[in-house]
Amino acid sequence: MRIPRLLQAVLVLLFVYFGFILVFDVILEAVIPASLIIMYMFFVTAGVFMVFTYDEEQTAELVAPIKAMVEDPSKRLIRNIVFVIVPLAVGGGTYWQMQPSFEAPLELRTIHPAPPTTAKIYGKRVNLLKLENPYRKLEKEDPEQFRELIDEGAAVYIKNCQYCHGDKLDGKGPYAEGLNPTPLNFQDVGTIAQLQESYLFWRITTGGPGLPQEAAPWISSMPVWQDFLKEDEVWKVIMFLYDYTGHRPRSWEHE
Amino acid sequence: MESGMMKTIVMAAATAGLLALSPALAQAADAEKGEAVYQKRCLQCHGDEGDGLGPAADYLNPPPRDFTLGLYKFISSAFDADLPNDADLLRMINDGMPGTAMPGWSDILSETEIQDVIAYIKTFAELEGAPEGQVDFGTQVQSSPESIAAGDKLFHDGERCSECHGVAGKGDAVKKLKNDNGERTWPRNLTKPWTYRASADPKDIYTRISAGIPTTQMPSFADPKSKKKLSVEERWHVANYVAALAKTGKVVRPENTVIQASRVEGELPGSPDDAAWDLAPPSTFFMVPQIVGKERFFKTANDTVSVRALYNDAKVALHLEWDDRTKSIPGDDKAKSIADEDLGEDAIAVQLPTTIPAGMEKPYFLMGNSVKPVNLWRWSSGTTEAPESVAILDAMGINEQEARDATAAGLTAKGSYKDGTWRVVMTRPLTTEAVDKDLQFEEGRFVPIAFFAWDGSNSEVGTASAMTTWYWLLLKPSTGAKPMIAGIIVAILIGGLLFWWGRSAAARVASEGTSGGDA
Repeated sequence: MRIPRLLQAVLVLLFVYFGFILVFDVILEAVIPASLIIMYMFFVTAGVFMVFTYDEEQTAELVAPIKAMVEDPSKRLIRNIVFVIVPLAVGGGTYWQMQPSFEAPLELRTIHPAPPTTAKIYGKRVNLLKLENPYRKLEKEDPEQFRELIDEGAAVYIKNCQYCHGDKLDGKGPYAEGLNPTPLNFQDVGTIAQLQESYLFWRITTGGPGLPQEAAPWISSMPVWQDFLKEDEVWKVIMFLYDYTGHRPRSWEHE
Repeated sequence: MESGMMKTIVMAAATAGLLALSPALAQAADAEKGEAVYQKRCLQCHGDEGDGLGPAADYLNPPPRDFTLGLYKFISSAFDADLPNDADLLRMINDGMPGTAMPGWSDILSETEIQDVIAYIKTFAELEGAPEGQVDFGTQVQSSPESIAAGDKLFHDGERCSECHGVAGKGDAVKKLKNDNGERTWPRNLTKPWTYRASADPKDIYTRISAGIPTTQMPSFADPKSKKKLSVEERWHVANYVAALAKTGKVVRPENTVIQASRVEGELPGSPDDAAWDLAPPSTFFMVPQIVGKERFFKTANDTVSVRALYNDAKVALHLEWDDRTKSIPGDDKAKSIADEDLGEDAIAVQLPTTIPAGMEKPYFLMGNSVKPVNLWRWSSGTTEAPESVAILDAMGINEQEARDATAAGLTAKGSYKDGTWRVVMTRPLTTEAVDKDLQFEEGRFVPIAFFAWDGSNSEVGTASAMTTWYWLLLKPSTGAKPMIAGIIVAILIGGLLFWWGRSAAARVASEGTSGGDA
């Protein structure tokens, strides 16, 4: 049996809506603001409407069930029921819409903001474009010493960073739950694997307060590490982060 | 790459050969593999020698386990057996230890790897073989109101459990407890299930009661020589009672970031024990050690705070509730006997911006900065000489605060301590005269709010505190009749429209019918 056009249109809309929920809420576990879903569904509805009313014949077929309901004297009972339910539903919807919302205001921030060209670190003006990890070359030149430096970096990490970023570098340290925004997960392919070592150096040394405005520096609980760690300790801890997770830092060179 | 593979194959073949030769050697091979895993994953905390003296040992609370002693706390072997079961170690590594820095490893280590690590860490104390006795579970008594009541009685009888765990189970100390290493330990606050190291399931609680917690002062109640010993059935009752205590805990819900203050008619409850506070829903937040600004502090005693709020046409009142095992009143002998080193006052502070932010930007969460200062409403528990007090601090950073007279702003506070819990009410007029220094509250506006707490018996003073990041306080506006009126108007309009549509359609059909038209 052929599905009536009107039902087809409704099914398409439901399919798109639940597909959206399935992909974003269930599979990706991302929280999508209701306002965005409403906007999205508005355009989808408009698109579906355009497709289904492409020519007059199709339009007539689409509205036929509605027309019949309103005009056909034999459908009086359904008509009366619909004519009572629709105003009540819309009225109720308006009532709920106007209830004040007590949900926390949405805070959008850039997690990996573009770095400045230069930054003042350890009292010096540093050009972040040219900055390189002074120890990275040892990886090829002197693997044994390189390994030693990584072990030193591990000790720095455990002493200073694991409380929030975790023993496993997964951003789930013992105090992670008490912080908002939550600490970064270095195991994730979307964090240090996408960044240069100089970027990490900048983020670690200048901490939350060193973030540009679009990254909401006032809420980040990342300490200003240049107040606590020496420069070489920061480079070593960066090497440890890459070594432990197995990620490679991004670099300008083609490898 | 290929040579690496060859190596693996050769090693695997060699291992297989050894396995075939002798079981004892097979175990040694496992421990060897375990050592490699240990070197990468465990050494940083537990130390090269397995003595728990890794680089972070001094900063972890509780400290990492010392494997050289061969003693483990959360075991299921009998109280008089010297050895843990491998299954106990497996579980600690798999699931981790909630409330400590030990994470669960099951997501990145395979079971074989974990078994190898177990074989390796047992070599530190040369543990061999299996324990002789196991905890006798008898027949589990399912939880019921009767069983819980029986457990309640046994828990308190002759202060069997309440001596250390407190009358309300909050672990409020009556004496200093130490472990075998001489380190300070605290009895578990049984109302905080997220701090149970080995789950708050009755079966796990039963295991603790029966086996005790080796190296600590938690004894076995299965020990026939104990004056406080319990039968199998009695231990199940106590386990059910403790599990019930754990269920009533104020649990942190991550999505709950807004403290909603309801509007009340008449006076606000000024006493922290006023029954009116029970009607306001609490928002519970985790508190973490202040490890962000100088000086960092790592071992705080408080881990949560529950906040309620109410307001009327003139004032707003905040009700802060947090579990603190020690009532710290300097000058008090009992308080002094329990405190670590210097005894200071217990304190809590509410942090607010000086004005409600217009956009997204708030003051720096850690006590503001010179561009955007914050207000701290700080209550202190008082000493034997001075009563409890409250002050307003104008803060421009964690090390830059200026105290100001709270009475000028109309801020008052009152605290009460009972069975391991502090309750404090702070009340302030919605508006003050110092509009440039004090936040002026407005109905319906989201106000950033954060908290700091100090346990005076745990050497917490100044920057050594527990803290939260920003949350929200909202004075919930009364909605009035607007939504109802709008809903009714919309319903009438739509209804009228549909009615008109139906009528005109009917009229058209009728006219078409009379004119003989064919539809």
